[in-house]
Amino acid sequence: MRRTEILLVDDNPADTDLTSEVLARYGCPSHIHVVTDGVEAIAFLRQEGKYANALPPDFVILDLSLPRKDGRAVLAEIKTDSVLRKIPIAIFSTSEARQDIVRSYEMGANCYVSKPGNLRDFVSAVTSIGEFWFGWARLPREEER
Amino acid sequence: MSFKTSRSLPHEYTRPITTSSLPTTLPQWKGTEALDILCREDLDVPLIVVTGYMGEERAVEHIKQGATDCVLKDHLFRLPLAVRRALEGKWLREQRRQSTEELAGKAAELARSNAELEQFAYVASHDLQEPLRMIATYTQLLAERYRGKLDEQADKYIGYSVDGAVRMQALIQDLLKFSRVGKQEIEPRTTECRAVVEQALKNLQVAVQESGAVVNWNGLPVVMADSSQLTQVFQNLIANAIKFHGLEKPVIQIDAEKKDHEWVLTVSDNGIGIPAESWQDIFVIFRRLHSRTEYAGNGIGLSICKKIIERHGGKLWVEAQAKPGCRIKFTLPAEPPSKAAPEAQA
Repeated sequence: MRRTEILLVDDNPADTDLTSEVLARYGCPSHIHVVTDGVEAIAFLRQEGKYANALPPDFVILDLSLPRKDGRAVLAEIKTDSVLRKIPIAIFSTSEARQDIVRSYEMGANCYVSKPGNLRDFVSAVTSIGEFWFGWARLPREEER
Repeated sequence: MSFKTSRSLPHEYTRPITTSSLPTTLPQWKGTEALDILCREDLDVPLIVVTGYMGEERAVEHIKQGATDCVLKDHLFRLPLAVRRALEGKWLREQRRQSTEELAGKAAELARSNAELEQFAYVASHDLQEPLRMIATYTQLLAERYRGKLDEQADKYIGYSVDGAVRMQALIQDLLKFSRVGKQEIEPRTTECRAVVEQALKNLQVAVQESGAVVNWNGLPVVMADSSQLTQVFQNLIANAIKFHGLEKPVIQIDAEKKDHEWVLTVSDNGIGIPAESWQDIFVIFRRLHSRTEYAGNGIGLSICKKIIERHGGKLWVEAQAKPGCRIKFTLPAEPPSKAAPEAQA
């Protein structure tokens, strides 16, 4: 079974550490790549520069507030690209602003999860993302994209 | 003051000419032209028309055009009095303009500093949330992973930091709620208070059931308000009445009374009440009259109520009542008379 490649885009190491740890604990064979800004995220997805040999991700977890290129711009770029748009994207952001939520879905985000403020809820939010997207949901294969 | 009969008139106005009196027929131009210029340039220069002969109609015409006064040449003795009156009038207008300008300036300054404060509270609380989330999450992680592995003191200290972070998160959430009330646009519509109270009670269902609270109301009116914000007001007031109950089961009474163009709404209860010396204090954000162990909460509810009502153009205050308990009153604009519908009865 091919392992699931996950791209985690977040500039906060405290969040990426915990998210990676929880996803890894969730048993599905996966590999998590972490990039810390929007420019890197796009380079990774397009396999450019130092990411020429990176495996294309099956799933993206994207924070909205990112340095260099904002998460909203990254989302827009992915969802207007005829190939990349098939990769499901979960927005995982502190923002609870209605306009961020609505705008993200408008641009084609596949789900929007607000980062909870306490450990228990954070762990259960990430676990739910893992259980749903890597357990129940069927994702397009790389060759189908 | 005499008047120079030349075409240099407009330049003269840049200097403080206070009064001009002029004959209506002059060698170079007519007095009415001066009136035109004053009018066109919007200059506040008193102008007295002095002329040899003038019918009443003509005089009225001059005054209409903007002349301060008209004096006939064979009544020149009237001129000094006319000049003095004109100068006094100008001085008064000047004073009035100055104080209006000062007032407008102060109001603008106040509005600006208020808006700045709102913005500050919003940005501060919004941006504080992120690092605080890290502290809360990771102290909780420490507590979970290392409880019982260090020593008793360590467990206690970690416990304190977990509590502190959680409490600060709640405070910041409340601060955000409070500043959002100030940022939100209010759209007052005709709103049935009865429906609003029912919604508030639905939101408080658990608290009402657990406390066995009884909420009575009668003759609730139709007011001009933003219904979701008004729901918040009733919800906070009823929740307080339940929270600060006395020995008996909470009984909450909501009444309304019309005064001129507004409704005065009263929410009273049979709880522990508020000592009169704290009637002002309780509206200050985060001001609490009890310790955290006695009553939970951050002390934001009443501040939000007051702010919402004030943004609707009303007032909210505490009032004395004979029996034990607390009585909060607030005013809201009544429905505009043009569309007045029959009053809603509970």
